[in-house]
Amino acid sequence: MKRRGSPRLEGYAALAAIGLVAALVLRRPELAIAVAPLAVLLTIGTRLARDPNVDVDFSFEADRTLEESDVNAEITVRTEAPVDRLELLLELPEGMTAVDGGGAFALRLHAGEERTIPLRLRATRWGLYDVGRIEARARDPFRLVVWQERFESIQGLKAYPSPESLSRILSPIETQAFSGSEVARVKGDGIEYADIRDYVSGDRVRSINWRASARKGSLIVNERHPERNTDVVLFVDSFADVRREGRSTLDDAVRAAATLTTRYLDRRDRVGLVAFGGVLRWLRPGMGPSQRYRLIETLLETGVAPTYTWRDVNLIPAQILPPKSLVLGLTPLVDSRFVTALENLRARGFDLVVVEVDPVSLVERGSGEIEALAYRLWLLEREVLRARLERLGVGIARWGDDVSLETALEGVRTYRRYARLARV
Amino acid sequence: MAAIALVALVAALVLGWSLLVPASLVLLGGMYGAELAIADASLDAATPLFAAGLLVAAELAYWAIEERESAEAEPGEGLRRVAFVALLALGALLVAALLLALADSVSAAGLAVDLVGATAAATVLIVVLITRRLGSAGATRSG
Repeated sequence: MKRRGSPRLEGYAALAAIGLVAALVLRRPELAIAVAPLAVLLTIGTRLARDPNVDVDFSFEADRTLEESDVNAEITVRTEAPVDRLELLLELPEGMTAVDGGGAFALRLHAGEERTIPLRLRATRWGLYDVGRIEARARDPFRLVVWQERFESIQGLKAYPSPESLSRILSPIETQAFSGSEVARVKGDGIEYADIRDYVSGDRVRSINWRASARKGSLIVNERHPERNTDVVLFVDSFADVRREGRSTLDDAVRAAATLTTRYLDRRDRVGLVAFGGVLRWLRPGMGPSQRYRLIETLLETGVAPTYTWRDVNLIPAQILPPKSLVLGLTPLVDSRFVTALENLRARGFDLVVVEVDPVSLVERGSGEIEALAYRLWLLEREVLRARLERLGVGIARWGDDVSLETALEGVRTYRRYARLARV
Repeated sequence: MAAIALVALVAALVLGWSLLVPASLVLLGGMYGAELAIADASLDAATPLFAAGLLVAAELAYWAIEERESAEAEPGEGLRRVAFVALLALGALLVAALLLALADSVSAAGLAVDLVGATAAATVLIVVLITRRLGSAGATRSG
């Protein structure tokens, strides 16, 4: 540990020197006597001061937690020599807070003692956190000498986004070949009743609708809808983030993406991810719990990397966007590059839905007349943009302060009930 | 001068400037020295009390400043520290009283005593300079 004198050491030394000089100048021994105890204290204190050789470790109880949930951690301190006062300051990254205090502790340790300090930390935002930078400062009993060292016992913590309330999800227009929980529009072997038709050679006897056959006088068979799985690709806008007072459109988009991921994977759909922005990240559609962790951990790495270069959907590998997949765009609709990418995807025939993370409440209206006018123009431009997308057959779920994700998606469900998939 | 010393000490505590602590105590010592010089009496018997008071004032002021910038202490540390400062005050009282008695017994004053005093003052000044240099070097390394 690095040793340095405390302000007390310098102050006492200065007082002792001035006292002795003043005693000589004024020829009054009382002044020298008055500062003599300080000189004695300095001599004894600096002679007795020993490096405590402190060692500090940091560890988490778990390496994963949920946003706004507590996670237990501990700091372990060992010392060879006695320390009258050991101050520890745990430097927490932005978005991480200590639940019981500020992460600063003061201890008194005996020689060879090991102490464990329990902590409760909370991630106020989803993300990947590196925690474990600890500033340690040891003082001798006379508080004349300070030993200081910065320990870096870094431990990673993944804070998963907290799920949004969502009981129903959007059903894709088309389904895939594998069995799943989505009732397909096509007819085939399944449980859900679809229609009746005349019997043709090769139909199974168990498909015959005897009641209808008796009425018509010829054999009639039931047709059914099979249950299939679907492919869903979450298309997250990481070009821009509108942020204000702890709220951010990207944070909300990631929360929604995590929620949708969980819900679609629960019904055995394949889910993929494209984070489209300054840095392009993707994950091939897959299913199962391991895909959920892969998706969420890819989402955690999502951030806004500023870029001025044009990005096109041609950059995305074909396997990432399988045919007949439902593409769910999560965006605040503020970057024209992402809007163009959405239009391109729609032009390629993808079943596209936009979850608009509404940034309007995060943008100040402005006080002046010109600012107010600009704000209104911006709102109108957004309306025009939404109308343009809806004309292309893109359902838009406006998710904002006073509209839950569930309600926003319900609006799209209604829109899709009356819309037809068209190849444009 | 006492008022200025008090203001300096209060400023040190309120603003957390540890440099103002010795400044205020120097002003206090200056006032005491001026009184002694004006009175031109024999040795002041109250010097040990003044020495102990000076030490206690300095210790409490530095402690208050340290508490401003540091973490919450373990239960009982405050009491332990108070006891330690009281012990220091007692030690200061004893040392000062011993030195006062010694000074009283040494009646012969002259060039030799002056030389010893000057050497002691110069030594302490050198120690101060070395301490400051080591302190700033340590701070640079750690920063």
